[in-house]
Amino acid sequence: MTHFNWLLDGSIVGLYLLATMAAGLMVRKYVGKVEHFLVAGREMDVYLGIASLAATEFGIVTCMYTAQNGFEKGFAGATPGILMAVAMLVVGLTGFVIKPLRDSGVMTIPELFEKKFGPRIRWAAGVVIVLGGLLNMGVFLRTGGQFLVLVSGLDVKYLEIMMTALLVGVAVYTILGGMLSVLVTDYMQFIVMSAGLIVVTILILMNVGWESMVTTVEVQYGAGGFNPFINPTMGWQYVLFNLMLNTAAVLTWQTIIARVLAAKDTATGRKVYTRTSFFFVCRFLIPGIWGIAALATLGPLVNSLEAMPRYLSTAVPPGLMGLLIAAMLAADMSTDSSYMLTWGSVIYNDIMAPFRKTRWSEKRGLFWNRSIIAFIGIFLLLYGLWYPLKGDLWTYLGVTGTIYLASISVLLIACCYWRRANSWGAGAAIFISAVIPITYLVIEQVPATAALAKSIGPYYSGIATYLLAGAAMVIGTLLKPQSTTQLTERTG
Amino acid sequence: MAKHWFWWSMTWACVIWYSTITIYVAIRGGADIKHMLARLDATKAREAREEKEG
Repeated sequence: MTHFNWLLDGSIVGLYLLATMAAGLMVRKYVGKVEHFLVAGREMDVYLGIASLAATEFGIVTCMYTAQNGFEKGFAGATPGILMAVAMLVVGLTGFVIKPLRDSGVMTIPELFEKKFGPRIRWAAGVVIVLGGLLNMGVFLRTGGQFLVLVSGLDVKYLEIMMTALLVGVAVYTILGGMLSVLVTDYMQFIVMSAGLIVVTILILMNVGWESMVTTVEVQYGAGGFNPFINPTMGWQYVLFNLMLNTAAVLTWQTIIARVLAAKDTATGRKVYTRTSFFFVCRFLIPGIWGIAALATLGPLVNSLEAMPRYLSTAVPPGLMGLLIAAMLAADMSTDSSYMLTWGSVIYNDIMAPFRKTRWSEKRGLFWNRSIIAFIGIFLLLYGLWYPLKGDLWTYLGVTGTIYLASISVLLIACCYWRRANSWGAGAAIFISAVIPITYLVIEQVPATAALAKSIGPYYSGIATYLLAGAAMVIGTLLKPQSTTQLTERTG
Repeated sequence: MAKHWFWWSMTWACVIWYSTITIYVAIRGGADIKHMLARLDATKAREAREEKEG
């Protein structure tokens, strides 16, 4: 029996939803141009950037897969968070890639590619970014709905209705206020989300206790529950794949990089990175602790994805339950709004670029941006309802994310630091890094080839994608016949 | 605790760091929003003035 009290907890949740919608709608009057809509007029400062980045990168889906990692792998399941924090700190301190990117003044990554590789590569990169991003985001709604239904004790038949209502609410303020609404609501959502996460974690640590959690992990997973290299479901290939994945995400993931592009200057963008980096440890470890507490309390026989919400539904007292659900709604809404906006920005800015031969008016640009977000919302509802998720959630997200992370990170590094890099290399890298993950996803779903997919595993396939994308960039570039101009340039 | 000091330290570092940063960002982030909206208002007013003046 869940501890959710409709009067007390329902009022807290209702109040939170009202406040967020009001704030999101209030700032719509500041949107007069496409630049305001997509990058908030490049007026974002450090602390708003930290709140927005943290809120965006923590959704219910994040909480579910990181808790699943804690439940299935113990403390070692937080390894991807540590790797991401290190990558973000190093990139923020050095300005690697993000400095030339922000200095260029572009609104999206593919826009930068056009300067180096031409309009076709810009378009292809846009398609790959949107494909990878939307496949990734496709599972957010159902997973979020699953959490809310389990924690609040609602009937599962209401899951679709709840998901739709949540998405419509988020879409309304995102369509009207764009990045400005996203930033302002992210700020509120960061506070509510963080309060809920901290209070629930302290409650769990006090109730279940550190020793009990450590003993549970030792009994279930032995030393592998603390060390990813000796965990039989992880190993060096898991660590290497996650290092590549998280570094690429820090450099190119559209929702992360959108904060650098919306920052008021390059130094602000770098500060947002360095000061948010440790959050990525919390992002994996805090829900990981919840997953371990679920394992200690419910045992290993329950569904690993549902274990944490099932545990919380009875462990969190009324009153605090309202804060937890408001926190999770905050986490989910900030993620959905930002994802819809940033992927929409690539569709408008890059995929639709060939159709904007003449300069569009600001009014027309805003109309199209808003329509694209509405279409993304419809796609999410349809895809989220029919895609059957197999395997663990983090791996699905890693494989679909790799479709674009591998090629776009290779292209971006080459674009910023390799003078000779050209469109042949870029095209080859895009092709390779889309084909491998998509093939893997297909053979995983087809019964006849599912065993083959299992024997290869997502980590080796992921590592191969990153390495081959890099090799394709080098080989493609070297194979392209050089123009007279290029030869003259190099020979002086 | 001593045996798994790394994860013990990481867990408490997360709780302490996250609590601190939440309060700090809540205060400074609010000021950032105020300034951002003021700058956008000023830009809008300037552009309207320039348009009026031709």
